[in-house]
Amino acid sequence: MAVVVPLAGAFLTPLVDVLAKRMNHPRARDYFALAVTVGTLLLVVDMATSVLGGDILVYKLGGWAPPLGINLAIDGLGLLVGLIVAGISTLVVIYSFVFMRQESGLGQYYTLMLLLTAGMMGVAFTGDIFNLYVFFEIMAISSYALVAFRRSKISIEGAIKYLIVGSLGTSFILLGIALLYGSTGTLNIADIASKLAVINTTSGSTPLISIIALTLFVVGFGIKIGMIPFHAWLPDAYQAAPSPISAIMAGGTAIVGVGALLRVSYFIFGAPMVGPLLIGLGLVTMVLGAFMALVQRDLKRLLAYSGISQMGYILLSIGLGTALGIKGGLFHMLNNAVYKSLLFLAVGAIIYRVKTSRIDELGGLGRKMPITAGVFLVGALALAGMPPFNGFASKLTIFLAGIDAGYPILSGIAAIISVVTLAYMIRAFIAVFLGPQTGRFENVKEAPRSMLFPMMVLAAVCVVLGVLPQLGFSAVEPAQEVLLNPSSYIGEVIPGA
Amino acid sequence: MDFNYVIAMLLVALGLYCLLLKRNLIKIIIGLAVLTDGIHLFLISLGYRAGGTAAIVSGEMFSNLPGFAAQAVDPIPQALVLTSIVINICILALALSLAIYAYRHYKTLNPSKMRRLRG
Repeated sequence: MAVVVPLAGAFLTPLVDVLAKRMNHPRARDYFALAVTVGTLLLVVDMATSVLGGDILVYKLGGWAPPLGINLAIDGLGLLVGLIVAGISTLVVIYSFVFMRQESGLGQYYTLMLLLTAGMMGVAFTGDIFNLYVFFEIMAISSYALVAFRRSKISIEGAIKYLIVGSLGTSFILLGIALLYGSTGTLNIADIASKLAVINTTSGSTPLISIIALTLFVVGFGIKIGMIPFHAWLPDAYQAAPSPISAIMAGGTAIVGVGALLRVSYFIFGAPMVGPLLIGLGLVTMVLGAFMALVQRDLKRLLAYSGISQMGYILLSIGLGTALGIKGGLFHMLNNAVYKSLLFLAVGAIIYRVKTSRIDELGGLGRKMPITAGVFLVGALALAGMPPFNGFASKLTIFLAGIDAGYPILSGIAAIISVVTLAYMIRAFIAVFLGPQTGRFENVKEAPRSMLFPMMVLAAVCVVLGVLPQLGFSAVEPAQEVLLNPSSYIGEVIPGA
Repeated sequence: MDFNYVIAMLLVALGLYCLLLKRNLIKIIIGLAVLTDGIHLFLISLGYRAGGTAAIVSGEMFSNLPGFAAQAVDPIPQALVLTSIVINICILALALSLAIYAYRHYKTLNPSKMRRLRG
């Protein structure tokens, strides 16, 4: 249901748009889009109670039992991702009310936004690997179009780079699916997992074909989440996209990519095979992302690189494969979604008032936009892992997990990178909000209320999760259970397997 | 039969080559199309059976379902390829329209000359 609502909403939006224009209520489609996302959020929250209790909800489409029919299986991991996606898209729609008001073609904008939400929900919830590919493409195509939405020089450039690299990634995923189908003869994720396990035990080792398929999946999803060395498109696309879209991409699609990568790699191939790969890639991504963020001159590019770096933390921690590592990684994924979209929205507020996001042109905005400055500071400190914000709790868990798993050196590197993060975020904060005021910004006002509201909600979440990390842990625990113990998922989806 | 896989992998390799090394947006987009077609051929070949019948159960075949199953081609890859073709049409259309806009803005189709974004 949570997939159907935004999908149907996306198709109805142009209709509502036309009707609204004819009836002289052009704002109606905004409220319609908001209603759809709020409805989705409520549906996900409704499912949350039973999934957090340890259940796995299985919907059989068309009444065909899996493994033959297509099914949606909502487990802890899917729910966590779905909750993040639904929450962020609701806030981004509210934010877009004012931010996008001057743009034309808003009917298409909200249509694409809802399609993006539908695609992300689908990836989070599906239990069928080809279905996952289809939803992934829905998500990808709508995000290419949204990056290009303004059709200006830079947005076309960002979008075309994103499109070419992104479709290369999705082709790899399709090829991986084809290989898996060839070796197991099924498309159901749970069924593939159990059949591959049988193949592995009978032949005594992992066949080459699964290794090739795994590599294809890691490259394909790695492109989507901006893992180094597949990250080149990401800063361009984030910088070129309208700020709310950057926020939804940083907080939504990147998280969905991680979720899909984990589902495929952990469920199908198992932790021992994937772990070292994720640790290695995560380490490189974390270190290089942070150092590239250090030298950026554009605020949105800086955030994009720091997003890459945070993805490294998540992959590294989950790659450790211990319960604590997975818990820390998933918690960091949740936190990263919150503060990264908060920061992008705050930069959007600056762009809305000042029309630039270049760090050297900005300065002294703190007095003019105190609330934006405040939430930016909250986001920046959370990103750098300072107490009492949520980033502290999850980064601490990651450090502890590293020591616990016998890799204290990884924890050390992660801690150093954390300091680098603090350095570039504080530099950006000082350059943008403190310092002397330039004459150009005399008439700058605080951002409008409907833009402040989503930012304040996200900032509040940062503080609440920082002060009460148990809340976050209890949200990620079902997901951690599922990753550590995929056989319960398999048993739930295919009874008797 | 094996020939199919060879051709499919050749197409994939060719597509990858175009995508990674060509310096013209149109050629890159063609490369993308060739790459996905290679994957489609691969998928279709997985389910192909020489001399097999279409996987549509009708009439007298109901009486002999195991025999039918032994003869029919695998229908799932066909369904997958059909879906994937539709998706790729969307991507190609979007890519070409973006290429048109890019040409209007930059007066070139060379992606390495589109460098407003850097840092």
